[in-house]
Amino acid sequence: MLPWNYGFHWNTGHVVFLGAFYTVLTIVATTLVLAVLRSRRAIAEQRVEDIGWHADFHDLSPQDRVCRHVLSGELQCRECPHAFDCRHCETHARLVARHAVAKPAEAEEEILGMTFPLDRFYHRGHTWARIEPDGTATIGLDDLGQRLLGVPDSTELPQPGERVSVSGTAFRVHKRNANVRVLSPVDGEVVETAGPGSDWILRVKTTGGGGIDCRHLLRGSEVRPWLTREMERLQLTLSAEAGSGATLADGGVPVKDIAAAYPEADWDAVCGEMFLEP
Amino acid sequence: MISETKQFPAAKYGMTIDVDRCNGCGACMVACAVENNVPPAHEGATDRKGLTWLRVYKVDNGLEYPDHRTAFVPVMCQHCNHDTPCVHVCPQQAVDLDPATGVVGEMPQRCLGCRYCMAACPYHARYFNWWDPAWPQGMEKTLNPDVTPRMRGVVEKCNFCHGRWHAAKQLAAASGEPSGQPVEYTPACAEACPTGAIRFGDLNNPASEPAQSAKKADSFRLLEKLGTETKVYYHSEREWVRQTAQAPRPPQAGKPAGKEIARG
Amino acid sequence: MDKDFITRGVRRCSPSRFAAWLTPWVVLLAFGLYAAGLCLIKGLNQTNMDNRFAFGLWIFLDLTVIALGAGAFFTGFLVYILKINELKAVINSAVVIGLVCYSGAVCVLGVDVGQPLRAWFTFWYPNVHSMLTEVSFCITCYLTVLAIEYLPIVLKNRKLRQVPSFLVFEFELHKLVFVLAGVGTFLSFFHQGSLGGLYGVLRGRPFAFREGLAIWPSTFFLFIISAAAVGPSFILLTTWMVEKITHKRLVRPGVLELLGRISGLLMAVYVLAKSVDTLIWINRTSPEVGFPAWQYYSWNPFGTWILVAEIAIFGLVPALILLTPAMRRRRGWLVSAAAMACVGVALNRFVMTVQTLALPTLSFDKFLSYTPSWQEVGTFLAVVAYGVLVYSFSFRYFQLFPDERMLKMEAKKEVAEEPFEMAGRY
Repeated sequence: MLPWNYGFHWNTGHVVFLGAFYTVLTIVATTLVLAVLRSRRAIAEQRVEDIGWHADFHDLSPQDRVCRHVLSGELQCRECPHAFDCRHCETHARLVARHAVAKPAEAEEEILGMTFPLDRFYHRGHTWARIEPDGTATIGLDDLGQRLLGVPDSTELPQPGERVSVSGTAFRVHKRNANVRVLSPVDGEVVETAGPGSDWILRVKTTGGGGIDCRHLLRGSEVRPWLTREMERLQLTLSAEAGSGATLADGGVPVKDIAAAYPEADWDAVCGEMFLEP
Repeated sequence: MISETKQFPAAKYGMTIDVDRCNGCGACMVACAVENNVPPAHEGATDRKGLTWLRVYKVDNGLEYPDHRTAFVPVMCQHCNHDTPCVHVCPQQAVDLDPATGVVGEMPQRCLGCRYCMAACPYHARYFNWWDPAWPQGMEKTLNPDVTPRMRGVVEKCNFCHGRWHAAKQLAAASGEPSGQPVEYTPACAEACPTGAIRFGDLNNPASEPAQSAKKADSFRLLEKLGTETKVYYHSEREWVRQTAQAPRPPQAGKPAGKEIARG
Repeated sequence: MDKDFITRGVRRCSPSRFAAWLTPWVVLLAFGLYAAGLCLIKGLNQTNMDNRFAFGLWIFLDLTVIALGAGAFFTGFLVYILKINELKAVINSAVVIGLVCYSGAVCVLGVDVGQPLRAWFTFWYPNVHSMLTEVSFCITCYLTVLAIEYLPIVLKNRKLRQVPSFLVFEFELHKLVFVLAGVGTFLSFFHQGSLGGLYGVLRGRPFAFREGLAIWPSTFFLFIISAAAVGPSFILLTTWMVEKITHKRLVRPGVLELLGRISGLLMAVYVLAKSVDTLIWINRTSPEVGFPAWQYYSWNPFGTWILVAEIAIFGLVPALILLTPAMRRRRGWLVSAAAMACVGVALNRFVMTVQTLALPTLSFDKFLSYTPSWQEVGTFLAVVAYGVLVYSFSFRYFQLFPDERMLKMEAKKEVAEEPFEMAGRY
């Protein structure tokens, strides 16, 4: 093999063959090494949550990835290219510049029997964020989210000082066989966690300069169409996971603890579907 | 085994086998096995699993009595000189055609035992060590110290008694002859043949018997149309014998391989 | 018990039932490993191969299994390079099948050679003229690529992806999967071809020898086309089998039909190419070296029926079935045609390996026969068992069929909607 061994002579055949082989090996090794290096950088830059969400988003079914402007009727058909992070979306900026989101007519939103106050912004993962006068943001679970989880068996909340990121894990909930993470609506550093029985869960403050960015969150008249869609999704999931006869009749209000109404349902699957964890 | 040939002429060792003289005694087969440390057949070895570097085949003209005629054809590695099939296919280059001697040599230490060369050889001249070699007690005294025994799982074949070539070269060097010159030696089969049917020599030397036999009209090589340019020339004055070397199909009853019916 | 490891939303049987399913395969694997062990320890005399039948059951089945596993590279090519996204439904399953086929074949090769520990010699003393060197290099590289392609499937497991480094590594690797798919296609092209080239270059076996293009005999190209043709068929077949065994809908019917159509198209091309090649071989290549082609088929049991079976019955017929949309839509025809295509390619590999060696070359040869010993059969059954075990494990814990969950929901939706439809009729 080596030039000095037993009269070995290089010829075109050797060059082509071994050249091809070592090129292939190099390409494969480079791919692996590149993936490893990029991973290490991502971990060092603390982008794990971000990547986790992007991976989850990629695995959602196309119907679940629909753009907020399709829900509100402005666009016919569009799949969100930014994993629901409208802060970086040119289309969103353009549409919002044309007309800002209207406030709905009623003083307090009562949609399909559930309460969705107007003083806060909603994340598609069923959490809400409310900007407080002192510049911090309060994070909580919206009405549908609360009814899905009822009284959870246990929660894993972040400690004060920990960071949360948009669409990263805010906290983890266990209910029956469900083990699901709930998405954070905003970026920030946790300053306070709520005690049991509160209607909010976390309070965060902004880490960089400037206020807390909420452009990517739903508000005002966007909430009703979104929620209608979510109820359809819930219906679909319940009928799939709960076996026979699981339908919510039109106009029916979901009970305070939906899980109790469907004891045989795979609650893990239902929560995974509604909280966007495939 | 690859040597650089310098300014000395290369040898091209070949054989001539006179089929008309071969009486099928098998002395060549025994001598070959003894010379090359071929282990005795293991228990359970069949005709197709044994190591027979040299095999004498019995051929016939396919006719019934009284026209039935037979002949014996010793077949060993034909040392193909052109597009050598086994050299071409060995993935480890464990086989090579030595440009200095024309011998197709095998390196058992490098052989992987993939048996691709065995599939490639049209003469079925390559044999695989299906068992570990074992010599019964006392028989190790018969081993030839100049030849490496092979291990289980490698292929082996006739190499024109390369050990004897080395010995001849050493003798020539010891007697002061220039080292590149082709030497003369006799492989075990040629030495043992009682009728002198097997003759060995340098095809590049016009005076050698193989070279002279090659020029004769009734000399033939096995499967010549394959274009392997083998270095073993067979000779027979009987046409039907010459036909068996080319006809790919064994003669059936009533259908001679050749056109003539053999006489004598 | 192992619910945390199972993908969300899909149903898998209980751990004890799974163990019951695995048990016979584990027993088979153990028996096969024993058979292989005998061959490794006592030597290849444990097989019924001999000096004339240097290649036997193992080589024939290796070639078949590698041809069937070609679905991995071909589907990868179709999904990641040609962007036929519909096939994303089966790509994971195809990768697992490919990995199982190739790793199984490599393990059997390790038992088949006389000195397995010398396998690295091919890489150190390569003979660039030998097709087998090419095969060794390519298959080793490709097995590595398949293992790397399998890694993301493993790392996406529900529990494993909670480890941050696994999650991130899988994400980054998936971004580069098209590189691996491209490399895989390149490597597969060459090794499937070289496996054909192994026999096409055998000048000493005019039954197998073919003319070709430059250094590549026609069998090089025929093997590539046939492997690409049968790959999708095998995926079709295995997907159908898994659906039957697990009683689940795993892919949309359209996906199976697409696989069938691709397979049918390539089978048609293959049958055409093979027919042309056979005609050239019968009329020119073989007679030129003094071996008239008719005599190959005058030996029992390999009469001309085997040629007809290979090209027409198990070649043209499945191709035509798979190319007919009406027949593709019927599951029975689709699966049968896919199975026939697989049999046809297996028959082709058999003809090239076993029949080549059975036929005489010298006039004083006989036609030879060979029956594999139980150790040989056992070793191969170990590969089958290994394949089933790996696939079962992967099916349970990894998401081999991304559409499974959605199909389950759609099935439930259909059931739920039915009563309303019936109500409307009255």
